[in-house]
Amino acid sequence: MSREKLKSLGLKLPLLPTTSVGSFPKPDYLVKARAEFTKGKITPEELLGLERKATKFWVETQEKLGVDVLVDGEMYRGDMVAYFAERLQGFTEGGLVRSYGNRYYHKPIITGEVEWPGPVTVEWWKYAQGLTKRPVKGMLTGAYTIMDWSFNEHYPGRRATALALAAVIRKEVEALITEGCKIIQIDEPALSVRPEELPIALEAMEATTKGLDAYFITHACYGAFEHIYPGMLELAVDNFDLEMSNNDLSLLGLFRGHPFTKDISFGVVDVHSHAIEESDTVRGRIEQALTVLPKDQVWVDPDCGLKTRTVDEAIQKLRSCVAAAKAFRN
Amino acid sequence: MNCRWLRERQKNPNRTGPRESAYLQSDGAVHKMSRAKEAALNGYIGSTPSLGPRVNTASPGLQLASTGSYPRIGDPAELQLLRRSISALDRGDRTTADILDAENEMTRRAIAEQVKAGLDVITDGQIRWYDPISHLAGKLDNVKIRGLLRFFDTNTYFRQPVLTGKPTRRGHLVVNEYSFACNALGHLPTPPEKAGKLSIKPVLTGPYTLAKFSLGEHHENGAPETSASLEARAMAYAEALAPEIEALAQSGADLIQVDEPAAVKFPGDWAIFEQALGPLFAAREKVRKAGRKTELALYVYFHDSTPFYEKLVGLPVDIVGLDFSYDAKLADLIASAGSPKPLGLGLVDARNTRLEDPDVIAWQVERLMPKIEGGRAYLGPSSGLEYLPRDRAFAKLELLSKVRTALTGIKGAAN
Repeated sequence: MSREKLKSLGLKLPLLPTTSVGSFPKPDYLVKARAEFTKGKITPEELLGLERKATKFWVETQEKLGVDVLVDGEMYRGDMVAYFAERLQGFTEGGLVRSYGNRYYHKPIITGEVEWPGPVTVEWWKYAQGLTKRPVKGMLTGAYTIMDWSFNEHYPGRRATALALAAVIRKEVEALITEGCKIIQIDEPALSVRPEELPIALEAMEATTKGLDAYFITHACYGAFEHIYPGMLELAVDNFDLEMSNNDLSLLGLFRGHPFTKDISFGVVDVHSHAIEESDTVRGRIEQALTVLPKDQVWVDPDCGLKTRTVDEAIQKLRSCVAAAKAFRN
Repeated sequence: MNCRWLRERQKNPNRTGPRESAYLQSDGAVHKMSRAKEAALNGYIGSTPSLGPRVNTASPGLQLASTGSYPRIGDPAELQLLRRSISALDRGDRTTADILDAENEMTRRAIAEQVKAGLDVITDGQIRWYDPISHLAGKLDNVKIRGLLRFFDTNTYFRQPVLTGKPTRRGHLVVNEYSFACNALGHLPTPPEKAGKLSIKPVLTGPYTLAKFSLGEHHENGAPETSASLEARAMAYAEALAPEIEALAQSGADLIQVDEPAAVKFPGDWAIFEQALGPLFAAREKVRKAGRKTELALYVYFHDSTPFYEKLVGLPVDIVGLDFSYDAKLADLIASAGSPKPLGLGLVDARNTRLEDPDVIAWQVERLMPKIEGGRAYLGPSSGLEYLPRDRAFAKLELLSKVRTALTGIKGAAN
């Protein structure tokens, strides 16, 4: 089904297409520049120039490695929810809250009607796509996750908040499609956090993508998928991008019990380990995947965004993905 | 399970305890509200001043209580002391002694803010806790602390303990933290009307929740460890926590909070949860026989407790703390069925920045207080406050005082 959709969109992808989840590590010069920008030591234009330089590096690197569907690497983003909250109307930056250990972040507060101010990610997508002939994914955060990871002082409840955000994200999707984007990833890592709210997440994604002409992917990770499977397959996307290696491919057991009916971007390298997986290990994971999943449904990528790895580690892990996928194409 | 009281109450809602009976035999709703005000008034100004941070648990009424954690950071630079110290330690620019100093300072600030907001029952803010699981488990022998997992439906993460054998207490878990907090409170300037009435409440994560979020390691030869089953892990944690209850009581704690949020999230394990409380009850009885009046407060949150309310108040704990933020039916149920024991009223949402209307909370308190046996309750946030930015967390605490003001007409310390 999804292969036909890809074809109808004019996308010719090999078997076991390779991609990545979204973020790459920022080169040292960009990390330093972002800190200097925060202190007012460099101008927005100077920062933008370095973000573009880093984006170009990652697009070229993915091409060289042979990745089939590229990402821009999110050199200009920090937190995946805060990035949108800082740009959409209706949000106020909240004070610091703890994530874990000594890590803190500014959790957004919804204080008014959320509204789309105009394209948020489109210019970056156009820039990255302009650097390559391979398809570049549009990268968005889903309405349910933005709702779940924000405080809400405005809307009467969680469903109302998610649906208001869905209407906003849909406009961003439409803007990407208008510019020619054909593969759009809408991340929902909060999907399984409250299994009883799966209907809200489903409704919000349907409101985001229904009737729009693109191939949609969603990424979810660190979830208790056993509580929402197979119901999660109703999500209005074509492809689930799931971390598989971090949990020793345990999700395959669920898929044996009930067929996985969508395409899957199958995470074959652990993004939280410095160790580079042996090629045998990665091939073994794909082999196991193919015992449960039809070959034409499977994409290959890392478990999650690679931004927490070093540049070298990220490149080596991507190389492992590509080499292993190619081994299964013939 | 002793739910007889509640079942009888539901069959015959007019049946009440002696204090309430006398009250309800007068003229109904108007007096119910007056009773709540009276109870709140008693809690605020009714007990005899005494020296030292002690709970006068014999004093009925409404007390304002922390539910546990408090933000360890704020946006101003002086409130980032701990974060910056830990970062400096990671770079090799500080020592662990510097971290202890920073923890002490941020603990003092957390206590001071609770006092300033007008609370009666205060915690140390759990400033030193890496998370609710590994802080305790990591102090036990035969426990390794491993990777990050999401803590319930929060966007915060805990480190998972892996038991390589029976977790064993080798020393105090939070007694030293409790003693530090008592000392810090004792050195704070206190409003005259509050002198001798403020207390520090130590908090422990309960054995079932610790066990639920731990793993038992299997031997390489396939033979299961004694801690491989949930039941074995829960009982082992319970046996490690029981002497801590005794030690806390001996250090002066009259009220000890035991957090078991997993109990209502995973009700299928109820028998294990209940059994694992046994050693804690035994420890309480032991210290009571030695003359102390220690009470155990069981707190559950992060899930709707309504379906388990009967079972919760039927447990032989002294106080049950509840999270009212998930379903309005919980308050309705208590208003209808009553409670055979004091309750922790988590009516202020600790997970959202939106500030509630104090009059609405006051109305809830007014309708619940007459239904609570003994007329004693602890009004507080629905859970620990570390999920909120610091300014909002403080505003939630101030809200508690505003509720009491609305109930009593007497200004709280925060005003």
